[in-house]
Amino acid sequence: MGEAEVPLVKAIDMAKKYGDFIALHPLNIEVYSGEFFGVFGPNGAGKSTFIKLLTGQLRPSKGMIEVLGINAIDNPQKLKANIGIVPESESPPSFLTPVEFLEFVATLRNVENSTKEVEYWLDWFGLEEKRNTMCKDLSKGQRQKVMLAAAFIHRPKLLFLDEPFANLDPIYQRKCRQWLLDHVSNGGTIFLCSHVLEMAERMCNRMAIINDGKVLAAGSVKGLKLSSQETLEDVFIRLVGRSIEDVERLSDEGISEEE
Amino acid sequence: MSGVIISSKDWDEVEFTTNPTSLGTGSSGQKLHTPIRGWASFIATFKVMFKEEFRKNLEFAKARQIILFPLLLSLITMISTIGLQFLVGDSAAHVKDIESKTFTWQELRFALHLPLLMFSLGMGTFAFMGRDALIRRTGTKNFLLASPALQPLPNSVAHFVYFVKDLCFYVLLILSPIIVGMFFGIGLEPLASINTPLEVSSLPWTWIAMVITLAQGLVFSFLVSALWMRGRPYTVIGPILIVIFGISVGTRALDLNWFLLGLQVQSSQNVLMAIFYFLLCIILGYLSSRLIIDDFDVSVVEKGDMLKPMYDRLNFLGKGEVQLIVAKEFVDLFRSGSIKKMTVSYAIPLLVLLGMAWIVDFADAPIPINLLSYAPFLGFFGFNFYSWLTILDSSEFMNGLPIRVPQLIRAKVVVYFLATSWISLIFIVLMAWRLDEWASLPTSIIVMFANSIYIVALTAYLMGLRPNQAIFDASIMIWFWLGTVLPLLGLFLLSFTQGDVSLYGNWWERTSQDGLSATASIYDESLVQQGYMGMLMISVGLLLASLLLWKLMDRRWGDAHFDN
Repeated sequence: MGEAEVPLVKAIDMAKKYGDFIALHPLNIEVYSGEFFGVFGPNGAGKSTFIKLLTGQLRPSKGMIEVLGINAIDNPQKLKANIGIVPESESPPSFLTPVEFLEFVATLRNVENSTKEVEYWLDWFGLEEKRNTMCKDLSKGQRQKVMLAAAFIHRPKLLFLDEPFANLDPIYQRKCRQWLLDHVSNGGTIFLCSHVLEMAERMCNRMAIINDGKVLAAGSVKGLKLSSQETLEDVFIRLVGRSIEDVERLSDEGISEEE
Repeated sequence: MSGVIISSKDWDEVEFTTNPTSLGTGSSGQKLHTPIRGWASFIATFKVMFKEEFRKNLEFAKARQIILFPLLLSLITMISTIGLQFLVGDSAAHVKDIESKTFTWQELRFALHLPLLMFSLGMGTFAFMGRDALIRRTGTKNFLLASPALQPLPNSVAHFVYFVKDLCFYVLLILSPIIVGMFFGIGLEPLASINTPLEVSSLPWTWIAMVITLAQGLVFSFLVSALWMRGRPYTVIGPILIVIFGISVGTRALDLNWFLLGLQVQSSQNVLMAIFYFLLCIILGYLSSRLIIDDFDVSVVEKGDMLKPMYDRLNFLGKGEVQLIVAKEFVDLFRSGSIKKMTVSYAIPLLVLLGMAWIVDFADAPIPINLLSYAPFLGFFGFNFYSWLTILDSSEFMNGLPIRVPQLIRAKVVVYFLATSWISLIFIVLMAWRLDEWASLPTSIIVMFANSIYIVALTAYLMGLRPNQAIFDASIMIWFWLGTVLPLLGLFLLSFTQGDVSLYGNWWERTSQDGLSATASIYDESLVQQGYMGMLMISVGLLLASLLLWKLMDRRWGDAHFDN
């Protein structure tokens, strides 16, 4: 079996429980090269747990996880060195400057030409002027750019992004979106978590919708729609358990109250 | 094959098995990096962590103030060095009976190393700090100690670097200025006819010995916290070690001098011993760090409403914001599990004082220690507890609420008092029992509580929500030092009127004639009463000062933002 035919990501019965609370039900997944795969779900659906398990940030309660041939449970450091992770709401260390943080990350990952890479990504994200400002004094959007740069700095083929565009201005949203699409067309693979359905329409070739720690549906973005009239938002609401009529009724009540 | 295959099952549907074989994934041609390891990762992390520590401290205190802090420390040590001649028998050559009326060098060294050990024990709970950093990493502040969650850096390496970084930081910021102060104190000898018994040649050994004591305290604390965080069965090892140690010292099976490694090094001036103990501390630090596993789980825990019942129980505080914030702070204390750690860390210095009352016999020294001498010190340890209270939870969310910083500060002072007063009370009663001084217990309780409330009110007023950073601000340090040492000294000296030694009555007259071998020739009951009144008046003064600080809190912190 050739290298192109094996999955990059594979988990068998991967599950996470906190006490009695099941954050993620047993889940099997295989992701192959060249995918832009999105996991969507409402708040608290288990998206971040899903991504943290696959990236070695969390140990599963049960199951097996392997990414790029690396066992995510036994060797999370090696895995983290070879993938890019953008967490949902984490900032870079408050008392380091962007340039220091990127140098630190590049050194840990053993990146060749680290200085050149640091400069490239500072420039790419327009952080040149803020290069010596401590991260705590950056805006939320600027901090997010630093986190994105730290995930891209070693040019990994496989990226895990959790709400990657949160706080980014529209210009950089577009710039990053285009970069990610180019990355996939050049053979990269992206695993994305979000509740912004627009991202699925614009970027993903396959998606899954999860709720209460369970996959409700998965397939191509088009394939999930029952008809050509159905929007992705309709699909989402249908699957996560609230009928469209319920939502419309709630909206109407909201409007009549305001009136 | 291409694409994505994904499916879910119910929890009960799956019979979990662990298959050690590979799942057959590949890197799709990507050349895999091996993250740096060992010494290289230590150095890379140390560089940025040291920078982070320095900036963290610089953030609160201005650059000028952070430089002034070691200068201030040097100055205080210089003055203390000059004062040594009055304490050490060797130099007080003009008095008789020197041996029994003065401290020996060994006792003074003990007095240097024991507080240093206490300080470092309080600062070394790195495993707890790591956990806190991890929990808070999604907040507005993030620290390098939490970086293993996302970066290819083992948690154990990050913690070991943190230990070494803190050791270096305290050596530079605290120990070295102390030695410099001693050096200048000795240097004043020919200039001002001062006769200090310290010699320059002993300073390198003093420095080395202090470094070892500091390292010992940090590493012991690190080890206990790492064992605690590791979970069962390791969790019980730390407390068992502490209890065994306490019993051994209490029953004199273990000599406390023996336990102070730095003290041994300073006494023996043995190079091999110094190297051995230092390496032992570093190796123990390394082993402690190895106990820290790569566990980045932050549990999801569901709890019933604790705020409302807590709020109702605090009705005696009077309805208002303070009652509500105090209730919230107590919920934080219980839910975070910090109440146990904080109570233990508050009780440890008190245990040491109790141990001193038990073991150390001051009868031969020219200081007539009694229950009232201990009382102000019992109230002195509020600083650590208050500091801990300020880092329990980020307060930044309060910026959007109709609450002001002074209200939160006041609430924390109230929490401190409610959470610790019963501990202090138990200790003072135990001391009264040990010293058999029941008569002075009521006054001691008043002195202790007045001092306790005042110290925390002063800390809160001067340092607000960030005492850990503010303590390195020289100007705040000066005010804190003056504000605490002066009343403490007053109470301490006045307490001598109450003991079984009546030296104080004619102290100045007698010591002018007989120096340290002075004894009282007049014992006047009225002096005892005056001493009592003096202590009570200082205590009332401290309570009034606390009230004033309470009122002034609005002026100092009224415009501040919530940021701890």
